[in-house]
Amino acid sequence: MNYPFYFDAGLGAMIAQAAIAALAGFVLFYKTVIAVIKGWLGMRKEKKNGSFDSSYEKDRENN
Amino acid sequence: MLRHPSSYRDPSGFMYKENGLYYRRINPVFFKEYNQAKSEGIYQKLFDKGWLIPHKEISSSDDKIIIQPEQLGFITYPYEWSFTQYKHAAQLTLRIQIFLLENDFSLKDASAFNIAFHKGKAIFIDTLSIEKYKENTPWRALKQFNEHFFGPLLLAQKHGGSFLKTLQYSINGIDLKEVKRQLNFTARFNPIIYSHIHLLSKLQDKNQDETDENKEIHLSKASQIKMLKALEQHIDAMTSVENTEWSSYYNEINYQETSFQIKKELIKEWCRDVNAAKVIDLGGNDGTFAKELLPQTDQIIVSDIDQPAIDQCYLNMLQSKEQKIVPMVCDLMQPSPSIGFHNSERDSFTSRVINFKPDVSMALALIHHITLTGNVPFEMSAAYFAQLSKYLIIEFPDRTDSWVTYILDSKREARHLFDGYNSSAFAKAYQKEFKLIKSEKIQGTERTLFLFERHER
Repeated sequence: MNYPFYFDAGLGAMIAQAAIAALAGFVLFYKTVIAVIKGWLGMRKEKKNGSFDSSYEKDRENN
Repeated sequence: MLRHPSSYRDPSGFMYKENGLYYRRINPVFFKEYNQAKSEGIYQKLFDKGWLIPHKEISSSDDKIIIQPEQLGFITYPYEWSFTQYKHAAQLTLRIQIFLLENDFSLKDASAFNIAFHKGKAIFIDTLSIEKYKENTPWRALKQFNEHFFGPLLLAQKHGGSFLKTLQYSINGIDLKEVKRQLNFTARFNPIIYSHIHLLSKLQDKNQDETDENKEIHLSKASQIKMLKALEQHIDAMTSVENTEWSSYYNEINYQETSFQIKKELIKEWCRDVNAAKVIDLGGNDGTFAKELLPQTDQIIVSDIDQPAIDQCYLNMLQSKEQKIVPMVCDLMQPSPSIGFHNSERDSFTSRVINFKPDVSMALALIHHITLTGNVPFEMSAAYFAQLSKYLIIEFPDRTDSWVTYILDSKREARHLFDGYNSSAFAKAYQKEFKLIKSEKIQGTERTLFLFERHER
């Protein structure tokens, strides 16, 4: 970065990110475990209509 | 060269308009970053994903590089998006940041104004936000992301769509302390909400003097990606109660399917007669009538006061891969004003529509709301519509229409103030601004469709 910050990033927000990431790690692990258990029980997650990824499917097909 | 009035925050460059086209000028201070992203194929990869507005380099010299982005037809601002649009804009920002980190780049800001809706989907438009990632640094735009995206989405989820308009009165995003205050006590037990709202709001006033010897703050790239993925998954799962409970307005119309079809056919025929390529459907609900015009038009803006209806319009578009419709939430009784520094950073709704130059404005089942609920005299609504386009297709529900009767009854003792609400008074007032081309009563209804042409100015 060879130019100054042009908005306040918030020092606290920078410091907090280590703690946020640790909590996120816990959340992702928990979700993975739940997904695996649901998989064993045959409870597959259905793909939602109008999901974020569906918006870009056409672009991917074209590439 | 006319610098865009909102393009002044980032010293890396700015947008400007020349001969009706938008360009981006890159300043020497950003040459290294731009050339790195270009040579490593970052821009191209993002174009291929459909995530970044494509651009081509026009010229390069010692003092400036000029790029020309693909031009946007009509820009809508965050405070005009529906819940799902807002959500997708937030997800796009996070997905781009994750992708960039994986490729040793990063976003230097996360403003919601960096996103536009183009060809039916969210697209990132601030090319110069992409910079080289500095190893082990936290994401400097996280707080801004939460102020622009996560905060308004959480409040909209809990309190309703009006919170999606946050950036209209607070252009730099909502204070996280305010978000915290307005959330339930139990919200803090969700680790994502707690960490991004409660924890950040607590630490946001911390300043450099309180830290030890200005030491560097470290966060590994893997941890940052984990943090962003968890946040993105949380946002992906968010739903709005008012949207999920939305039931189609057209199930509640007060006339028969055949009349509905007749109305559709008339609109198609009249738009064809005047060679309408660009249309704005004011009060267009979920885009049912706009959809009918798709084969014969290039672009249609569908605006409506009802956020869930516009959300439905957007979801329908995604499903059908429709690219010509621009859905937006707009209350015609208080359309988006021009905001920001010098009142010119973000243009007003009316001024953007005028610049868009629609051939036809459609106001179907709208005039009774404007006149009877909004108390706007016919002369004033006619003058407003005449500003927007040459042709106007407007539906006039007569006094005997059940909706009109319902509104008039609700006026109680003030009912007599609206005695002037009738078809002939309407036509007379509108003919001060327009020439009446044709009118036709919609069979099986108490409604008449009018086609007007604006008087030469």
